Amino acid sequence: MQPNWVDILPLILLAGGGFLVFCLGGFWKGRPQGLLFGVALATAIAAGAAAVLLKPAQLQFLKMVETGGYGRFFTFLLTLITTLSLLFSYQYVKLRDIGGDEFYGLLLLSGLGMILVASALHWLVFFLGLETLSLSLYVLIAIRKHQSASNEAGLKYFMMGAVASAFLTFGIAMVYAATGKMDILQSLSADVQTTSHPAMLLGLSLILIGIGFKVSMVPFHLWTPDVYQGAPAPVTAFLATGSKVALFSALLRFAFYYTRNSVWNDYVFVFWILAFLTMAVGNITALAQVRVKRLLAYSSVAQMGYLLMTLLAVRGSGVFAIMFYLAVYALMDLGAFGTLATLSAEEEDIDALEDFRGLAYVHPWRSSLLTVCLVSLAGLPPTAGFIGKFILFRAVLQAHFVVLAALGIVTVIVSIYFYFKIIVALFMQPTARKTVTPDLDVFARVAGVAILVLILWLGLLPASLLSIITRIVSSFSL
Amino acid sequence: MINNFPWLTTIIFLPLVGSFLALCFARKPMLCRWTCLWVSLADLFLVAWLFTSNLQWHSWSTGKWLLAEDHPWIESLGIRYSLGLDGISLMLIFLTTFLTVLCILVSWKEINAKVGTFHFFLLFLETSIMGVFLATDLFLFYLFWEIQIIPMFFLIGIWGHEERVYATVKFILFTLAGSLFMLIALTGLYLIHGAKTGLYTFSLYQLIQTPLGLSTELWLYAAFLLAFAIKIPIFPVHTWLPDAHTQAPTAGSVILAGLLLKTGAYALLRFGFPLFPVAARFSVPLLLVLGLIGLFYAAWIALAQKDLKRLVAYSSIGHMGIVVIGIAVWNTMTLSGATLQMINHGLTTSALFILVGMLDERVHTREIPNFGGFWKKMPGFSAFFLFFAMASLGLPGLNNFVGEFLVLVGTIKTWPLVTWLGFTGLVLTVIYILNVVQKTVFEETRNEKFREQPLADITVREVLILAPLALVVLFIGLHPQPVLDLFEGPVGILIGFLK
Repeated sequence: MQPNWVDILPLILLAGGGFLVFCLGGFWKGRPQGLLFGVALATAIAAGAAAVLLKPAQLQFLKMVETGGYGRFFTFLLTLITTLSLLFSYQYVKLRDIGGDEFYGLLLLSGLGMILVASALHWLVFFLGLETLSLSLYVLIAIRKHQSASNEAGLKYFMMGAVASAFLTFGIAMVYAATGKMDILQSLSADVQTTSHPAMLLGLSLILIGIGFKVSMVPFHLWTPDVYQGAPAPVTAFLATGSKVALFSALLRFAFYYTRNSVWNDYVFVFWILAFLTMAVGNITALAQVRVKRLLAYSSVAQMGYLLMTLLAVRGSGVFAIMFYLAVYALMDLGAFGTLATLSAEEEDIDALEDFRGLAYVHPWRSSLLTVCLVSLAGLPPTAGFIGKFILFRAVLQAHFVVLAALGIVTVIVSIYFYFKIIVALFMQPTARKTVTPDLDVFARVAGVAILVLILWLGLLPASLLSIITRIVSSFSL
Repeated sequence: MINNFPWLTTIIFLPLVGSFLALCFARKPMLCRWTCLWVSLADLFLVAWLFTSNLQWHSWSTGKWLLAEDHPWIESLGIRYSLGLDGISLMLIFLTTFLTVLCILVSWKEINAKVGTFHFFLLFLETSIMGVFLATDLFLFYLFWEIQIIPMFFLIGIWGHEERVYATVKFILFTLAGSLFMLIALTGLYLIHGAKTGLYTFSLYQLIQTPLGLSTELWLYAAFLLAFAIKIPIFPVHTWLPDAHTQAPTAGSVILAGLLLKTGAYALLRFGFPLFPVAARFSVPLLLVLGLIGLFYAAWIALAQKDLKRLVAYSSIGHMGIVVIGIAVWNTMTLSGATLQMINHGLTTSALFILVGMLDERVHTREIPNFGGFWKKMPGFSAFFLFFAMASLGLPGLNNFVGEFLVLVGTIKTWPLVTWLGFTGLVLTVIYILNVVQKTVFEETRNEKFREQPLADITVREVLILAPLALVVLFIGLHPQPVLDLFEGPVGILIGFLK
């Protein structure tokens, strides 16, 4: 079968763009920030457009990458995340002299890795995508090389990433040993002989642990607050949304394939416990935080908990719910961390809760955007977070997990306190901070407006996105 | 003409337009105030016009309403944008628009900082409250129910008094705790209905007919009741109210006491009882007991209060206790009485909060031991204060008497002990109100500084706020029949749900 290269145009564009950025950085005189940023932005937008506009001839490319609805949805979402992260980071990296070919090129290549992870149909492609995504992020997190916090965060992420990759590789190997197949669908839905059953279980558990590290599932989440706090804010935004979305979409695919196997029912309770722990630990630990970046890190652990809870409903409307919520989560968290990036002074990112006091009257537009993102994370109308949470809980209740849903709601109530703690500081306390914040540049402004409009649009008129997702889910067979 | 134009949507969203205009004019406070005043007056006239346009009962796809709208919204989830107006909601939205106009007038001099943002939140709040009163799709109702918390949170937290942050965080946590459990129950009901009939819908009219097993119905009803009980508020989940009411700015207290509490009671009779009739029957003794406890407890605590605003806040709990009793008994007389009492309480308590606010503007304190002798210094103010205090304690001829009388006489056939205890509770109400009137208006003040201080009597703007309230209170007290006629139809339909 002749491979139709146009089908994977987004991937080619991102790879080409990344290398172009590196070449320009290497051979162009000086390090032209504007040009490199422009090339990176153009690549990301082109890749997103290609994902949406080009309808691939076949639903998969060489049986390695999926180019059907599910793959294209996540390709578009991940390129959107890359684009918005680029927009938020332009002024931030320029002011702190960390911009250049490394930053933009690696951001693009990380995005490429994320898309490979989300659309992989072959275990090795999944692993390659994961490594591409992780290696780029190791450097991006530590890119403020003169700041010890950044270096420490990079090292922690590297250690965690190495361990996660080790677990994953071993797990994939065990699955291959049990089933003899490297194709994801075939290996997961294979009818495993009883002698190979322990090997299969071991392999799947190891894969779950490996993915669990990356999506901050409890008890593999301990790296999250340190890394989120230490990394530069735009990189945190990219990391918190992109890698989570990519890996969770892969996890969703694996779970969906695996449910064809009747063994799924026996191990649902494992996910039950993990989901409950993740929601509970994430939300309860966030209560005690006084540093906002750590608070948001624990909150994203909890958000992953809600998604894990919905994973139990993967046989019902879980896929639909998770796809919508991943899109919403990406927007909310990007908005929150991106706004933090724009509110940060040059020396250090804005972190302590005291520094947020009275900020609504000094920087009203950025504070309002942050407030909308926080309200959306808390799950209140009229934001997209509300519709998202409703759809998640609907899927969980439809699958008859009533107790878990009730426990989940209790943790949501707990989370209201710490999200509103930040809003209280922003609006209801007198200004304390003396540092000077740079003005908002046009790119961050565009990103902010886009996120605000999308959050409110998806909160009030979600029907169009929901119908797209319904169509994708109904044709989701690969 | 009346059927095709979306009057209800206009009435709900006109204040939202005003709120965005307020943000645009944030740099010019006077322009901002006048714009918002005109927008809210326009909304009030629209609602008043509905009164005079001779609406008739029709059967719509969403039940029997005077006026209704129904559009698809999120079809894939069975959510529709459905609104419905009947006599009860008409009176309540009239109360909403009326009180919002008064709030803008009350805040004219009181709010001087961030005026644009204040009016943004105030009008946004008005939109959300009217949405709660008019929604007939359960999801839409829940959306408005949750949205109303956000502007109230900001109003208390930014423009409130000393302990405003504590009060507003307590308010939001309590209210959301109840609401979120209601979300689960709501979704559960929707899924059960869908599984049994194949039709996944949130329409109130369809969901009323869902066959439910007893234990499921009890759990679902309990979740709904918890959310409404926190809002109304019913003892013992009332503890957010004194702090929130006391710390809110005057306009905030007026909306909180006058409207937000009514959303809870309205939701109980529109959604709670009709959706879960069997479970509601089970809960009647509990509601009666808690309503009575609220009445006695509120009176007891109010007697001990030194803060005038806090005293009025506790009186709210007592009055809403009567409303809860009225709803629980669920016969024609008590339901009419309870709905009337919702309107009455909205008017009298708002007036009392406005009066306390005026006092606060002049003497910068709310402590009753500091007050006294206002009759000599501010006769106009004192006259209004006496009038509304009499209304609040249930003087015959004024509005509260009619509502309380209907509720308590209506319960005598089925629960005579409740009537007996209710009247005793009302005697306690008389005691604490007369006590505070005497201390504030008549008795000479113990505070030396106050004795000398000259106080400005009531201004024209303030008379403009209080006089319409007094007139409506008097009208309902002397001639409540037109209002009761409006309630007759809807009450009849509601009674039918529990047969």
